[in-house]
Amino acid sequence: MDEAAPGSALLTRARWWSLFGKGAFDALSFPAWMIALALFGVGSLARDVGHPIGAAMASTLFVWAGPAQVIFYGGLAANVPLPTIALAICLSSLRFLPMTMAFLPLLRGPTTTRFTELLAAHYISITVWTESLRRLPTMPRIERVPYYFGFANACIILSALSTGIGYLLVGAVPGPLAAGLLAVTPIFFTISLTAGARIPADWIALGLGFLLEPIALVLLGPGLDLMGVGLVGGTVAFLVGGAIERRRA
Amino acid sequence: MSDFLLPYVLMIVVAFLPTEMWRSLAVYLSRDLNEGSQIIVWIRAVATALLTGIVAKLMLSPTGELALVPLWGRAGAIAVAFAAFFILRRNVIGAVLTGEAVLISAAYFSGAHFNF
Repeated sequence: MDEAAPGSALLTRARWWSLFGKGAFDALSFPAWMIALALFGVGSLARDVGHPIGAAMASTLFVWAGPAQVIFYGGLAANVPLPTIALAICLSSLRFLPMTMAFLPLLRGPTTTRFTELLAAHYISITVWTESLRRLPTMPRIERVPYYFGFANACIILSALSTGIGYLLVGAVPGPLAAGLLAVTPIFFTISLTAGARIPADWIALGLGFLLEPIALVLLGPGLDLMGVGLVGGTVAFLVGGAIERRRA
Repeated sequence: MSDFLLPYVLMIVVAFLPTEMWRSLAVYLSRDLNEGSQIIVWIRAVATALLTGIVAKLMLSPTGELALVPLWGRAGAIAVAFAAFFILRRNVIGAVLTGEAVLISAAYFSGAHFNF
């Protein structure tokens, strides 16, 4: 994959921005709208607890994790103690550890600095992750960083605007459409993960996640269930998927 | 602390930091990992299972207006979207719109008591 032209260890400034623009364009041609719709509702939650619109939009730019933002504003609304909210968010955001670890080796090139990696890691959300894992491997390594930042910035900026609009339009969305907005996340994640599945381990992990969650919810409770599903489902998928590939080879 | 800054400080301390710590930790833990290594395949499988687990959780224990849609509508939307993805020759947009159409129709026709 790394067939960058000889001598092109660095991209020209014009080429860098053109790749950044291509990433942004690709995001705005669909995936960015999915995550923006998903973060629309956070605006109304922030308004319910009396926080200003700027804080609602900043929560999308900084936290950049729908479930964490829902727990934060939902928890404040229900007067849950702050350390309890922080712990719940910490558990719900644990997914970013395996997601970011699996993603960075795809982005990293010989000249990528630690600062670039920390910045790139901030933009990881489920949408950005699934779409990047699908799109980046087919690109020359040197083009991945500008494309990724274009893609991710388009997602986060559109979503911050959507959170702001959601704040202003609170209560104006009819019930069935509001249900449709809440369903954007699960439906889009399912399709995006399906589109990105390449090897047997991916497919098995995908199926096991669905099957194990109802069991884990009962056995482990609503805090640790997803960690259990990830570790058990992912490990089984890795082992079985590896065995299938070895048999084929 | 001033009332103006409080919502921002709370957001940073209670929501941003507990989330960002995992992303930053991953930068250090993934330092020596290569794209094609087996450990990356395993970590990716863990993340994938965790994410479909989130989908199942969102649909099985839904919040807000989604909770008013019957289970068959929620599960049906995912199943139909998945099938539509392959029927429409791996069309992501078509699949998502089909799933949304099923869910919104289920919400509309199920007689759930929404507040209009």
